[in-house]
Amino acid sequence: MSATIKSLRTMKLGFAAAFAVLFVIATVACLSVIATHAITPWTFAVIMLDGISSLLIVGLTGWMTLRDLNARRSAEIALRYREERTRLLIEGVQDYAIFLLDPQGTVVSWNAGAQRIKGYTAAEIVGKNFSRFYPQEDIDQGKPEQELRIAAADGRCEAERWRVRKDGSRFWSKMVITAARSPSGALLGFSEISHDITERNERDVKYRGLLEAAPDAMVVVNEAGEILLLNLQAQKQFGYHSDELIGQQVKHIIPEGFAERLISDGTRSAAEALAQQIGTGIELRGHRKDGSDFPIEIMLSPLASSEGTLVTAAIRDISVRKDAEALLLKTVGELKRSNDELKHFAYVASHDLQEPLRMVASYTQLLAKRYRGKLDSDADEFIAYAVDGCNRMQQMIRDLLTYSSAGSGEIALQAVSSELALHVALANLRVAVEESGALVSHDSLPIVTTDDTQLTQVFQNLIGNAIKYRGSGVPRIHVSARTDGGKQRIFSVRDNGMGIDPQYFDRIFGLFQRLHGRGEFAGTGIGLSICKKILERLGGRIWVESQLNQGSTFHFALPDEGVSA
Amino acid sequence: MSESTAMRSEAIEVLLVEDSPGDVRLTREALKDAKVHISLHVATDGIEAMAYLQRTGSHVNAPRPDLILLDLNLPKKDGREVLREIKESPSLRIIPVVILTTSSSDADVSQSYHLHANCYISKPVDLDGFLKVVHSIDNFWLSVVKLPRS
Repeated sequence: MSATIKSLRTMKLGFAAAFAVLFVIATVACLSVIATHAITPWTFAVIMLDGISSLLIVGLTGWMTLRDLNARRSAEIALRYREERTRLLIEGVQDYAIFLLDPQGTVVSWNAGAQRIKGYTAAEIVGKNFSRFYPQEDIDQGKPEQELRIAAADGRCEAERWRVRKDGSRFWSKMVITAARSPSGALLGFSEISHDITERNERDVKYRGLLEAAPDAMVVVNEAGEILLLNLQAQKQFGYHSDELIGQQVKHIIPEGFAERLISDGTRSAAEALAQQIGTGIELRGHRKDGSDFPIEIMLSPLASSEGTLVTAAIRDISVRKDAEALLLKTVGELKRSNDELKHFAYVASHDLQEPLRMVASYTQLLAKRYRGKLDSDADEFIAYAVDGCNRMQQMIRDLLTYSSAGSGEIALQAVSSELALHVALANLRVAVEESGALVSHDSLPIVTTDDTQLTQVFQNLIGNAIKYRGSGVPRIHVSARTDGGKQRIFSVRDNGMGIDPQYFDRIFGLFQRLHGRGEFAGTGIGLSICKKILERLGGRIWVESQLNQGSTFHFALPDEGVSA
Repeated sequence: MSESTAMRSEAIEVLLVEDSPGDVRLTREALKDAKVHISLHVATDGIEAMAYLQRTGSHVNAPRPDLILLDLNLPKKDGREVLREIKESPSLRIIPVVILTTSSSDADVSQSYHLHANCYISKPVDLDGFLKVVHSIDNFWLSVVKLPRS
């Protein structure tokens, strides 16, 4: 500024001095003329007037010139002030490097941000070429000149790239180089504004890494429904290359209608999102590039970013699971059908077969009743066998019906006193207990979560067997219970009966399996199979410990979680 | 001999609706020992049973039964349908209907009583049981109870 103001001041002084010198010269000249030449006062007056007018003209001209100079001076001051203010502002910016280059790329100005980011002071860098901010490989490729050419041609050049600090370290920079031109269009130079985004870049790289590491297809969508980012898995799943999808509407790959929902659901506030449970999987169909589609499950999560709220959609191809589910359903359906057939078979066997059998039995019995002793002894024997056969067959059919219906109804799980169930079983067996003189004892038995009717049935069958297959002495039966790791109850029914040869342990639980002749013991051999069926249905099991002639102990386990001893 | 029987000089008319000839014969055999004189008529399917009761076709002169023994599983017209029609008819509904069937299912028992069966008996599978049941019917329905005059 000072140069212009100084010259103005000099000009003012100059005019004043010139005016004074002219006045003095004119006066001296007049006086000398009067003194040396005898001239008339008129002549003198004319000369004086001429001199004064000349002086006035010179003074007026000088004054006007001075006034004009003052106005120009004020405009220049204002401009200078504005420039100064901008300069100070720019110089003070810390977060951005802002500097000017001449048309050749030489640094002509430098701000605090540039010093902070790049590490050079203004004194160190002004006058040097800006190419030193580029890594060597970029310099080798002529990047600095190239970017200036682009800025000169297009007005600006934007880039994200590695830059080098004074100490040689690198940082990831986002930069804009803008060309500065005079009103006539001559290139005056360039300005560069750049920013260190290393941290943001690292965050992006980490996020990207996270996306790529995900086992699912990951697609990031903005509020306009445009795909911003997708991982390799997404490209594989949908059959597109990343370039074909970025910037496209997400509805290309997931059903229309849902895409909108994805965005509206995904961009809810965190609180709303929680309330709406947007994170839960939603099953849909995804569209591949080749036009085929496949079942998908989508999990959404909102992501607040500088670009607004984004939605990250994790898209899982659930074809395999769907196929497995379909197979499972089919298998379950087949099982159910075969189970229904079996039930029907059991009904046919037990009910429809019973009808003709009832006829056979009734009429052989009628024969026996009416003609016993009236025919010969062979006839009596034959009829007796026919009657016996019918009776056994009827018993087996009844037992089969009992077996097929055992545990086929609803299981009513509830807290049950196993001790009470035992007492009910003993009441049902009262006659057998009294006739055999059996002594039945038991420990304190726990409350269990099970079906009381079925538990009673198991106790009844086991104690009934213990009485039936008793030894030579008084039958002694003891019932006890213990827990096994808190996960199940194990009940034991111990007797002093005839015992079982261990080789038959598996066989005795089979349907209609008997170890004794019919002459020795009644029954079809259904009791233990019913116990096994009931216990397996309740999630438990049954097994036996025994030695021939040394009594038997039947154990059964019932699942019993959460019930304390 | 009960009062009701004494007051009737004629036989007690019983309609047995039963498709199994074996059961018909067994019932006949059992009723042979009855205390009262029973005239047993047999219809072997539901259509014939209704024809008999409504005296149509060959049953124009059929006597009105005092008691009906009805099986549930019948050809042509089901026993449940026969029961419904009897109980919906103002003239027939006063005749006691004893359901005598092999079914012991709760659904059949319940449905029969809802259709106003007078009692429900499951046929015992053995001869002695069957004879006992028929004797009970004879004893209770034909001797103990007082039936409406037709």
